[in-house]
Amino acid sequence: MDIDFANLGFDTNFSILDWIIVIGYLITIVCIGVYIRKYIASATDFMVAGRGLKTFLAIATMIGTELGLVTVMYSSQKGFTGGFAAFHIAFAAAIVTLFVGISGFIVVPLRRLKVMTIPEFYQVRFGRDVRILGGIILALSGILNMGMFLKAGSLFVTGVTGMTSEFHLKIVMTVLLCMVLLYTTLGGMVSVAILDYIQFVVLSFSLVFASLMSIKYLGWDNIIDTVTREMGQSGFNPFDEAGFGWSYVLWMFFMGLVSCAVWQTAVIRACSAKSTSIVRRIYTLSSVGFLIRFLIPYFFGICALVFIANNPTLKGIFLSAEGKANSDLSLTAMPFYLSQILPAGFIGIISAGMLAAFMSTHDSYLLCWSSVLTQDVVSPWFKNGLSSKVRLFLTRVFIVAIGIFILVWGLWYPLEQDLWDYMAISGAIYSIGGFALLAFGLYWKRASRAGAYLALLTGFLALLGLSKVQQLCSPVLDPIKKVFKIEDDIPSAVIGLIVLALAIILMIVGSLLLPDKRGRATLMKLRSNLDGLD
Amino acid sequence: MDWIKIWTFFFFLSLAIFACLSIVVTIGGLFNIRSLFKDLSAAKQKAEQTDRR
Repeated sequence: MDIDFANLGFDTNFSILDWIIVIGYLITIVCIGVYIRKYIASATDFMVAGRGLKTFLAIATMIGTELGLVTVMYSSQKGFTGGFAAFHIAFAAAIVTLFVGISGFIVVPLRRLKVMTIPEFYQVRFGRDVRILGGIILALSGILNMGMFLKAGSLFVTGVTGMTSEFHLKIVMTVLLCMVLLYTTLGGMVSVAILDYIQFVVLSFSLVFASLMSIKYLGWDNIIDTVTREMGQSGFNPFDEAGFGWSYVLWMFFMGLVSCAVWQTAVIRACSAKSTSIVRRIYTLSSVGFLIRFLIPYFFGICALVFIANNPTLKGIFLSAEGKANSDLSLTAMPFYLSQILPAGFIGIISAGMLAAFMSTHDSYLLCWSSVLTQDVVSPWFKNGLSSKVRLFLTRVFIVAIGIFILVWGLWYPLEQDLWDYMAISGAIYSIGGFALLAFGLYWKRASRAGAYLALLTGFLALLGLSKVQQLCSPVLDPIKKVFKIEDDIPSAVIGLIVLALAIILMIVGSLLLPDKRGRATLMKLRSNLDGLD
Repeated sequence: MDWIKIWTFFFFLSLAIFACLSIVVTIGGLFNIRSLFKDLSAAKQKAEQTDRR
């Protein structure tokens, strides 16, 4: 996708001043990360900031992590292709996070147990082997999930700066990843928390400002009229089957729950909080953040659509005759749009915020998956566990190893599908089984190891959401499609919901048919921990 | 159901709430960072004293 927009008369507003802002900003935050190193004394300080995060800092880090560049990229793509109807995803995320905050569902009992990772809970509840299997699935799913982050980041840089040489972009991304590795291996969770705070401040204010600028530049009535003209009713009504439809809306409610209460990078914030009352407060207040992290990028995507649809040259490039956009181009639409409407200087600030978001997501994810590998895959093999120093060393080794993997994967793996599909499918391998284990393990006494195994392994069926996998499995799926009169691929949302239901059923059936023979005392001890006070 | 009105109201309300939250979290976060460093320094000093013994 080498399109020289400058030759078409669409020069980027990204200037030398913006480069200075971006580079200065990135160097400053890395220096802060290195400086913070002197405060790290133990593995707990490194992984969960000594469990010392208070409400406001915890909210900033939670939103800072979840408002990553990749989220902004795939969300703006959804806004570009789905219009205002995509807002329902933000709405679902906010409602579910608020519910978790008020009820304490999953996150409060997890914090009470003082576990650092979700698989650690698997061991407490189901045994060591479930922890190791769960850890492997979680890390595999998570590392694959972040495999495309560099690709999304590079597309953002291309769109904003107007650079067309892919070689230079690869160099930039490599340098950025090196900075992330340096930052994360030295500072751990404390530096992640501080970086997330700085990123939250820069990004939240610049996103609100950019939204207001977009409304002023395009005009609210023009935005509504263009979406109506280009998409009709499906651009607004999420239940319209020509757009998202009922199954997709339902699937998004589940994804909202996964994002805030089952996905390890969000749960680690709950584990880092000082008390369970702070956990509830973080989730209640962060529901606004979970809403905004989708809402504003959707709005930018919609604005990009309006900007492009009202220009015949750009419309010819970005939108085909049927109005459907090519995946790579629809990903580039938002940064390209921002590069056209934002003034020099401000575009540098928002880009620096976005690149910091890119670093923040990377360091949080690197820290998270390396902690899972250390705590849940390696450590359980040692009878007396590992010392704090060895765990710290291993975590750093895994951070570098994962960093190298995602660099190679992100730079050289050809992304031939929609980024959101890739993210949802790779994430669902873990999250479907993870949800069943957490919900039933925490709230159902009879949940057993056999049920946990079945639910965890069922998660792999989510891969059927990929159209290529559906083609491979056509001998099995075609008769089913005939029964339900489905002509095209089975929608990934429908697959996800079916696999989720299957995982829950297998968890219940497996637990009832093959109950655990663990002593009553073990279960009583777990229950007293779960029911304990802060 | 008028989805245009719903989403317009939803968008501007969310933007306003987020702007307010950003101000509160920015100020509150600064105090939290100061307190976090204080706690970590104290914990490190304690650990060092224990090592010396």
